[in-house]
Amino acid sequence: MIDFALDPELELLRETARSFAQHRLRPHDRDFETARGVDVATRDAFTEIGLAALEWPEALGGAGLGALARALVLEELGAADAGAALTLDPLGPAFYALAECGEAAALQAIAQPLLERPGSRAVLAWNGVARVALRNGRATGVLPWLPADRVDLLVLLDGDAVAVIDEGIALAPLRGAGLRAAGASELRLDGAPVRAWWVNPRGARRALARARLYAASLLLGVMRAAAGFSRDYALQRVAFGKPIAHHQALAFLITDMAMAVDGARLLVHEAAVRLDRGGDAEEACATAFLEAAEQAMFVTPNAVQILGGHGFMQDYPVEKWMREARALGLCFGGVDGAREDAGRGIVAAHAPLGLLEAQP
Amino acid sequence: MNFTIDDELRKRLAGIRELGRTQIRPLGLEADRAGKPVDPDHPFYALLLKLGLGRTRWLGGELDAEQDATRSRVGSPPSGGERGHKAGPSLTGVLLSEELAYWDRGVAVSFPGPGLGEPPVLSMGTPEQKERFLARFREPDRPRWGSFAMTEPGAGSDVAAIRTSCKRDGDHWILDGDKSFAANASRADWIVVWATADTSLGRAGHRAFVVERDTPGLGDFKIEKKMGLKAYESTSFTLRHCRVPASHLLGGEATYSNQDGSRGAKRAGFKGALQSFNATRPMIGAMAVGIGRAALDEAAAFAREHDLGSDPRVRDRLEHTRRKLRVARLLCWRAAWLADQQQPNIVEASMAKAHAPAAALDATLLGMELLGEVGARGDHLIEKLFRDVKAMDIVEGTGQIQHIVIARQLVGLPRE
Repeated sequence: MIDFALDPELELLRETARSFAQHRLRPHDRDFETARGVDVATRDAFTEIGLAALEWPEALGGAGLGALARALVLEELGAADAGAALTLDPLGPAFYALAECGEAAALQAIAQPLLERPGSRAVLAWNGVARVALRNGRATGVLPWLPADRVDLLVLLDGDAVAVIDEGIALAPLRGAGLRAAGASELRLDGAPVRAWWVNPRGARRALARARLYAASLLLGVMRAAAGFSRDYALQRVAFGKPIAHHQALAFLITDMAMAVDGARLLVHEAAVRLDRGGDAEEACATAFLEAAEQAMFVTPNAVQILGGHGFMQDYPVEKWMREARALGLCFGGVDGAREDAGRGIVAAHAPLGLLEAQP
Repeated sequence: MNFTIDDELRKRLAGIRELGRTQIRPLGLEADRAGKPVDPDHPFYALLLKLGLGRTRWLGGELDAEQDATRSRVGSPPSGGERGHKAGPSLTGVLLSEELAYWDRGVAVSFPGPGLGEPPVLSMGTPEQKERFLARFREPDRPRWGSFAMTEPGAGSDVAAIRTSCKRDGDHWILDGDKSFAANASRADWIVVWATADTSLGRAGHRAFVVERDTPGLGDFKIEKKMGLKAYESTSFTLRHCRVPASHLLGGEATYSNQDGSRGAKRAGFKGALQSFNATRPMIGAMAVGIGRAALDEAAAFAREHDLGSDPRVRDRLEHTRRKLRVARLLCWRAAWLADQQQPNIVEASMAKAHAPAAALDATLLGMELLGEVGARGDHLIEKLFRDVKAMDIVEGTGQIQHIVIARQLVGLPRE
């Protein structure tokens, strides 16, 4: 039956992630941004508490947790530093493409070494518009932006297949609009050998769904942080004789921002539970990503707005959150790709929201 | 965490779906065309009784104490064994309300039973009062209604501003005033009437009375003409030197007395009203979701029939509508679930109530837009839903009031 309580283990996991994020990431977010990465001690601590191998199969030495666990952790990390969250996660959403489409042996052979080499990055790139051409076992093309300064393993995902490349990857550093703590590069392939190529439309779609939920969970954290920070600021800042939060125009805006965060979170959690139960979750994940991206684009610019001139300055974190929300919303086909997938079946469906049809 | 509905509830929902398809929606359309409420003698209401509906959720007698104990366990965490297996009463109410409103919210409100009068009698009434007013709804001999009257011509969402007065006169209270928009009032056995003993005390002066139908001085029933939701009566009435027995003051004098000067006692009368509102906000939200879902289904069907499925402009807007309704539904579920866990849900209930009606209105607006001029003819279900749904953003505290309630919690928005 419907139940919004978290299992105690997940509650504990969330607390662990929150504590790490608020103590180890949040105070250093500007340093990470400047350094385009996190320091070794932070990375070690992340690995130490088990967050690096959260969904990695238990049989292979991971925690074997599911989508809800990942969503909870990512919200916490995103609320501190979404860029750092990306660079700390050695496999990131690339894991989903490998796990959904590759055989277990391939997963072990291709991905395991990255977990054992600190600082490694596997990067998932959406290749739905065929920026990279795959011919005769070779890959050629340009990806205009990846949030990474290092790519040990490139996993290309399109609607039908997954291609894995670990040689011949050329990176040109970019400034990056947001997520700079993860780095930012243009990636070029000029006949790079494709190490593995799996055609598996169902697996590819599911991998995309899980990647979208990954980004949605980070977005959730980013907008939660922005909503909370700007609310606290509005309670301190006095204008026209009272805290600006007590002017109704701002009180209502703050209320709408809180509702936006809560609503997006409910969709993310519902999609995650659906994934964990093994049901069809592509539409739910696309919907959750879409909502998270749209609402983050509502919440984070308004957080800057509430801080006024201060919000525009880099002394405060809200401008960074606004840039990060925008960048995250561009990943994995962006909002329009998600809109397409979320809405594909809606006209054909006879009861798109029926209570008896809506079971995960 | 779980988002599934258990089998028992699914069966009940399937029952409502069948009843909705065969009875509720046709009846709602008929009432809409006729422009008047479904007649109290309509055989549909007798059918509902036969199906076990139209009853009180008061268990009565010796079970009453147990029910009270459950309710008063405010703030105490539920034991692990209870959680997760069975839907609590709020969640059940929210799910059933959505499905009923999907078929016709107006007909659903016209269902016999103690209605909105039940929560205050249950939460404030003495055992004798529960027996007197609710027992008849346990195995009703015929369709019976209860009603609830707070709103006045000059006091809507600002419930503290009610002017209907009550004055003690021996064994009676004398009530004087005007009440508006009370559902099912003219057909009700009794009406829970809110009055003030002293307007200068604001909310502290409020009292709730159960006024029985034949009480002298209760009259001038006028069934209002509405934009939508025509299947149930929204009724205005007057109380003119209306003598109500003192035993009909809900909870008795002690409930409202201020002998110890404590804030809790002082505000009891008003808190009674707030309690009933908080219990129903997620339910109203769910009704909005039901109406919006009906519009979405009709809009999708229209798009299907007219080959609009490949038009991304149409698909995107349908997707947007479904997404907002899904958020609304989850907000309602969460608020109701919290209520069932006896956890505070002020913010969550208001979020559900603030979000759902707007999402549902959008669904009907989109539906009308897809219909185009067909929508302007005035004979399509979506056009009716478009008129019906607006009330959901007004009853039980407007969307603006919900924003104020939330803002008080989030940023301590001052009351003045």
